[in-house]
Amino acid sequence: MKQLVQRAVEMLKDMGVDYGDVRAELIRTENTDFRNARLDDCRTVETEGVGIRVLVGSSWGFSACTGLNKNDVDAAVTRAVDIAKAAGSRGKVELSPLDIQQGVYSGPCHKDPFEVSREDKIALLQKASDDMMKDSRIKSSYAQLWFEKRDRIIGSTRGDLIETDLIFTQPSLMATAVVDGDAQSRTLQDGARISGWEWVEESGIGDWGEKAREEALMKVLADESPSGEMDLLLDGHHLSLTMHESVGHPTESDRALGWEANMAGRSFVKLSDQGSLVYGSDLVNFVADNTQPSGVASWGWDDDMVPGQKWYTIKNGIFQEFGSVRETALLMGKKFSNGCCRAMNAQCFPINRQPNFYLEAPENGVTPDDLASDIKHGIWIEGRGSFSIDQRRESFQFGGDLFWEIKNGRKVRPLKKVIYRSRTPKFWGSLDGIADRKYFRSMGLLTCGKGEPMQSARMTHGASYSRFRGVEVGGGK
Amino acid sequence: MTKQEMLNFAEAAVKAAGTQDAVAVLTENRSAFVRFGQNRVTQNLDVFKRELRLTVGDGEKQATVTSQRIDIHALPGIASEARALLKTSSSDPEYMPSVPAGQVYPVIEEAWDEFTSECPAAPRMEAVGQVIDTAVENGFTASGIGGMYTTQTALATSTGNAVAHRSTTALLSFTMDKGLASSYSALSGTAWSDLDINTAIATVAEQVKLNENAVELEPGDYKIILEPQATWNLMMFLPWIMDARMADQGTSVFSGMESRKMAGENFTLSSSLRGGKPGNSFNEEGIPAEDVVWFDKGILKNLPCDRFTAKKTGRLPLFVPDTLDMAGGEGSIEDLIAGVDKGILIRRFWYIRFVDQKTMKLTGMTRDGVFLVENGKIVKPLKDFRWNWRPLELFSNILRIGTAQRKAPGLIPPVVIGEQHYPFTD
Repeated sequence: MKQLVQRAVEMLKDMGVDYGDVRAELIRTENTDFRNARLDDCRTVETEGVGIRVLVGSSWGFSACTGLNKNDVDAAVTRAVDIAKAAGSRGKVELSPLDIQQGVYSGPCHKDPFEVSREDKIALLQKASDDMMKDSRIKSSYAQLWFEKRDRIIGSTRGDLIETDLIFTQPSLMATAVVDGDAQSRTLQDGARISGWEWVEESGIGDWGEKAREEALMKVLADESPSGEMDLLLDGHHLSLTMHESVGHPTESDRALGWEANMAGRSFVKLSDQGSLVYGSDLVNFVADNTQPSGVASWGWDDDMVPGQKWYTIKNGIFQEFGSVRETALLMGKKFSNGCCRAMNAQCFPINRQPNFYLEAPENGVTPDDLASDIKHGIWIEGRGSFSIDQRRESFQFGGDLFWEIKNGRKVRPLKKVIYRSRTPKFWGSLDGIADRKYFRSMGLLTCGKGEPMQSARMTHGASYSRFRGVEVGGGK
Repeated sequence: MTKQEMLNFAEAAVKAAGTQDAVAVLTENRSAFVRFGQNRVTQNLDVFKRELRLTVGDGEKQATVTSQRIDIHALPGIASEARALLKTSSSDPEYMPSVPAGQVYPVIEEAWDEFTSECPAAPRMEAVGQVIDTAVENGFTASGIGGMYTTQTALATSTGNAVAHRSTTALLSFTMDKGLASSYSALSGTAWSDLDINTAIATVAEQVKLNENAVELEPGDYKIILEPQATWNLMMFLPWIMDARMADQGTSVFSGMESRKMAGENFTLSSSLRGGKPGNSFNEEGIPAEDVVWFDKGILKNLPCDRFTAKKTGRLPLFVPDTLDMAGGEGSIEDLIAGVDKGILIRRFWYIRFVDQKTMKLTGMTRDGVFLVENGKIVKPLKDFRWNWRPLELFSNILRIGTAQRKAPGLIPPVVIGEQHYPFTD
């Protein structure tokens, strides 16, 4: 792959482009999927290809091919340059400065999941699936082990040359119970990590089946949600989605610029809000971190070849800065990109994506029960469920996966069909308590959709249990 | 690759597999698009992709390998990997052999347009230039995407079936905005010449002006007027959950509802291979596509059904062949508006998700243009709002249906829905 990249870079230099980069990727994924206690999908997918991105004047050109065939790559190089030249200029493209990057990055992986026998994987999922299906009221179950090995080499006409190899691992399962005409599911997963088989072992998926079964049954038999204004106690998994939608997306620079206005949408956050917008209470500290090794957006460098970085998106409740790429950084009034440029694969043009980011939790001394003890009437929510937010990322409605009613400081009964609604700054402004780091949980998301043509991207979020006051609940029946 | 080269490759893959059952699907795509935002071109791409999916089975279990090494010399390695995977697979009680020989596949020539298949750069650049120029002239900001793509697929089975299908798609989708006012259009067709670009640009520019200074909707009862894009947005989830197995498991709104009325007399939904959008000729297993009526005058007539469930329950194996038409009536969106005394005109929905899958209760927001209609006229723009609705309940209360237009899935009409009470979030 390296020789192909270097050869294509030399071609671009000979063709006189103002900037060009060549990204070769070899991605191997393996799925082992059980449905209703039978092996439903036993599959490997190998995608490989080369993407060529060029700037001629201020015109982008991008072409790509699948496979690693020299002739196909040569044709893609020519096509990228040709369409850039044909495009003519519509706006000035100015990339933020960046030192020449060269190096190799390998994500953490102690035990290669591709070396673990298929029989072991099947046995693990079979047990979890059998456990889920032990009760006849469980009508549907799903269990999956998913692994991906992603090797990437990027070179540029500037002289950059980086190599990365990453292994992603995700175990997950779901049980659906049907009773008296209602169906309710319980999903157990901690998302994906850049990690090897050790993440499967640490997750304990083999023992999740019984818990998923019992909690799905508890849920389907539970009372429906009350409605009204009440307090919420939300776990880290649940918040991973809330923060993704209401903090991650509105703080993407391309949305603030209007580049996603036709599809993913715009942002209520303006360029001039950097350093001044009150986004939440002073407990709200969101740290973006593409250096955290197991975070699924920690790739060593992004696809602009900007090294992984760490910064505050929101500090003491005040919005600090957008996530950016080299093309948007200067437009945001920043000197440098903070490294949020990633493509789904070699066939895709890299775009502005969310970094890993998390809600900071206090060092110690606060438990979720401590937080609940100060709730007169509220709901304890775990996991992710229904989610919807307006295209400016200001007005939202979320569900969850497991619910308990809290009365006078104590969990009193399980619930189902709970949804809540709020507006972004109001919601984060109502945060008045965070449990300590012992209760922190992260969630690696693999399928954040954005862009046209649509690309999915991955990033990790996390939080500890957090308490929100006076939120509108209801409407899930 | 030519059609014959693709068929030869797929058949060679099946032969290389050497297993009792095998299905090879070779797909070739070309995508050529210009993307723009903030009145500037942000992407300009022309991408080729080829992929082989080889599914093998031994009568008890199966495995699938997908590869982008489209090279005849790579086939033995890909086949060997598939057999190795098969060996470690486990016995499948729902195992289905390759579809029997002698399948007859529809030939859908109208899915392909020669000009569009060439993906020329000039038309898309010109169209995008027109959108941006119009936005600039009006003091608006434009964003969107325009271009063409092609898909060619060849399938071969170990039972001797071999078939190919090809399609082209042209699209131009764009938004213009000024502050909080915006409007949107999505044109889609088999051929670039199907797109009425000039009209769309002029209409969107005019609608942005109408959308300035939007106000909050007052609580009350309103008829709902859906433009075709909004009608489709409400139906998008149907193909996801229309599934015979899910219905049998009791996990969907369709459980126990086959042959029963689920929507109004004027709701008919079908897949027509030569309808508004030409359909696919076959699915990934090699089952021939056919015209299917899913809802006939509100009655659920058919559900997509996998082969195992079909065999077990006596249904027909059916799938949605990538095309859906909702039966239209007569009249433009303007005609529909003219007949409404008090209503809301909705152009587009956004971020629709399930609130409750079992009852198909959805939530979502409006986007890029909502208007109050009184006495047959648009009287003022409204701010976006959230709704929690059960679309099948709305489709049980359709007062009028207009002329269907080509949208992404096929022919979709504008409709007027009977009164709903705002706020729509119960």
